[in-house]
Amino acid sequence: MRQKLIFALGIFSILLLTRNIYVISGLPPEANQGAIFKIIFFHATMAMTALTGSFVAFAASVLFLITRNFFWDALAVAVTEVGLAFLAANLITGSIWARVIWGIWWTWDARLTSALICWLLYAGYLMLRRAIEEPTQRATFAAVFNIFAFIDVPIVVFSIKWWRTQHPQPVFWAGGSFPPDWLAVFYWNLLALMALCAVMIAVRLRQEEAQREIDSLRRMAHSL
Amino acid sequence: MQISPEDITREIARLQRNFEFLSYGLIVAWLALVVYVLMMVARERKLKREIAGLRAMLEDKR
Repeated sequence: MRQKLIFALGIFSILLLTRNIYVISGLPPEANQGAIFKIIFFHATMAMTALTGSFVAFAASVLFLITRNFFWDALAVAVTEVGLAFLAANLITGSIWARVIWGIWWTWDARLTSALICWLLYAGYLMLRRAIEEPTQRATFAAVFNIFAFIDVPIVVFSIKWWRTQHPQPVFWAGGSFPPDWLAVFYWNLLALMALCAVMIAVRLRQEEAQREIDSLRRMAHSL
Repeated sequence: MQISPEDITREIARLQRNFEFLSYGLIVAWLALVVYVLMMVARERKLKREIAGLRAMLEDKR
């Protein structure tokens, strides 16, 4: 049943993404920026997906520390890893947009720097997990580190409100304008990427369960 | 204001370059996700092989 659900959601997300790419390619170029502006349909949605994932990972880490249930640890690692891939895609698309509009690939402003630090912190979380062998200790240290890493997420989100940055100011929640029909396409794309992200997390979660099964089989083999 | 043929050529070149960069951006972003999915598929296969191997070993030991 779970397999079928993951498969159905995967098909849904791919079909919706295909439809969205077709719709986005048909939209006219933006008046000032031209075609490159359309990258926002993926750049911003990928960031939203990744940062939603980091919130879920934070909540799962807190729940692990409270309950000591390894499901929450598995969920935290699955969400963090998938979110890292989305955040990487977000940084790449942003850099390419910046090359066209600003004439540079990168600048050390508050938004870009905090986003890069966020990526490095979550990459560090995954490296930390590899460095600790004992499962309970690994899960505990990783949960604490994940909670610490989450401190950067509000800084990433609100940096464009708190400081003057080269990165554009908020489009959706600070009086920016976006045509209503473009906004609908944006939300459809957000839905498609969220669904794709959920599928990837479900697959990754299953792999964590398989890893735990391997660990218990190994223990059984040692005890025999 | 008069628009010269050079202005039009420059604008076409700008739009073309814009479109090229949009394509590069989307290709690279999707490539990053595809590479990650392929890594997940490889890991899934490895885990399945490992579970099968361990189960077979436990059966033999019993």
